[in-house]
Amino acid sequence: MLPRIAQHATRAAARAAPRSVIARGMATEKQIWNQIQSTKNIQKITSSMKMVSAAKLKGDEGRRMTAISFNNWADALNGPPQVVEDATFEELPQRSLIVTLQSDKGLCGGINSFITKSVKNCVAALQKQGKEADIAVIGDKGRGQLRRAYPELIQVSMTEVMSPGNFTLASALASELIAAGAGDYDAVVLMYNSFKNAATYTQMYKVIKPFSGEGEDEPLLAYEFEPDTKSEVLTDLQEYLLTSQIYHSWMDGAAAEQGSRMTAMENASKNAGELIGSLTLKYNRARQARITTELIEIISGASALED
Amino acid sequence: MFAQLARRAARPAATAAAAARRQFADAAPAAGLMKLNFNLPQETLYDSVNVKSVIVPGATGEYEVTADHVPIVAEMKAGMLTINHEDGEEEKYFVAGGFSLTHEGSATDIVCPEAVKLDDIDGAAVTKNFEAAKAKAASAEAGSIEAAEAMIEVETNRSMGNALGMAMA
Repeated sequence: MLPRIAQHATRAAARAAPRSVIARGMATEKQIWNQIQSTKNIQKITSSMKMVSAAKLKGDEGRRMTAISFNNWADALNGPPQVVEDATFEELPQRSLIVTLQSDKGLCGGINSFITKSVKNCVAALQKQGKEADIAVIGDKGRGQLRRAYPELIQVSMTEVMSPGNFTLASALASELIAAGAGDYDAVVLMYNSFKNAATYTQMYKVIKPFSGEGEDEPLLAYEFEPDTKSEVLTDLQEYLLTSQIYHSWMDGAAAEQGSRMTAMENASKNAGELIGSLTLKYNRARQARITTELIEIISGASALED
Repeated sequence: MFAQLARRAARPAATAAAAARRQFADAAPAAGLMKLNFNLPQETLYDSVNVKSVIVPGATGEYEVTADHVPIVAEMKAGMLTINHEDGEEEKYFVAGGFSLTHEGSATDIVCPEAVKLDDIDGAAVTKNFEAAKAKAASAEAGSIEAAEAMIEVETNRSMGNALGMAMA
């Protein structure tokens, strides 16, 4: 075994040696040229991705606005969303199901990692308080990240969700969650990115607790119910509320994703431009050096003949 | 109306407390009017608009919501929703279901997955769909999911036809 490795090493060394000799002359120029071309191609891709995102962002922002007004009633019933940053998660009950709204696609900045980080913070905080948490993931990228951190906590994952989303898909997601036992938890926690503008977004979470309690704590005590079978209406209302909240979080997250992708691609294009600049400088230097060497060779050859 | 204003002025503290409790409406609607939020997931039809009343197709029967209605949460069935505007105009929508929540302070949220203006519904298409759904319901195995879905289809088309003023049999 050992001699074979030694043999390999010497062969590799022998192969590498002539290459480095070649690399000193013309090939460097060619290599740099190729590098410039491939960087230019990447820049073309990133800048067109940026353009596509900018166009899609408009639609996503519009859907976000209608989703916000659609979801007003649900926010009024279970309170406005909270910011994840600096949250202690002390208000969460004993058993919660954390539902993450992440993305199927990458190349969109840190939106998936930020949610993963929020989930890690939340789970750590809950475990410290002696509470339990399970995870349901929406989005392939999020699944990849969370699967590594909490393989045992993930109850269900939903990927390849169509984009742009609509209410029908949101209700399909909600029924998947309910089928996975979301109703048995003391609370469902939705974690999502909230869109601020094309460049910024924050991580938010919503706590959806089931309508329960009796006597003084009876939910929605001030309201009459139609039909009068209050418990049945409440079950339906709970599911509708979950759907509405998922729909809103999803639309908010989609707008944040698109904005983040736009910014990320803009930065990538800018970086590619800088890289192309420095490579071009290197290329020109190599070219100049070659020409100078050639000139010196010709001149010194000619002057040698003259004498 | 003037008497009411005077009474309100006389009890500013009481109204302030009421306003604090009122988290759904931004401002108190004018006397005799109520605030309506009518939202679809893909479209906001009315956002805090003052209207006279709304007739809601509740699951167990239609009811009319006017100003100062008691708070009520109602599951809606597929049916006709009528909005009586401030200027006396009547606007009719066909809704597919959803919820209607009337809050304290004369504000009502109507959230439904789909709603269309009654004028946009094609009566001939409704009749055709109604017949097709009836045939499906008749052929489906009793007690199966298909039969239930077909029954819902029949009912929806029937109420759509009734809303248009057609006789559905």
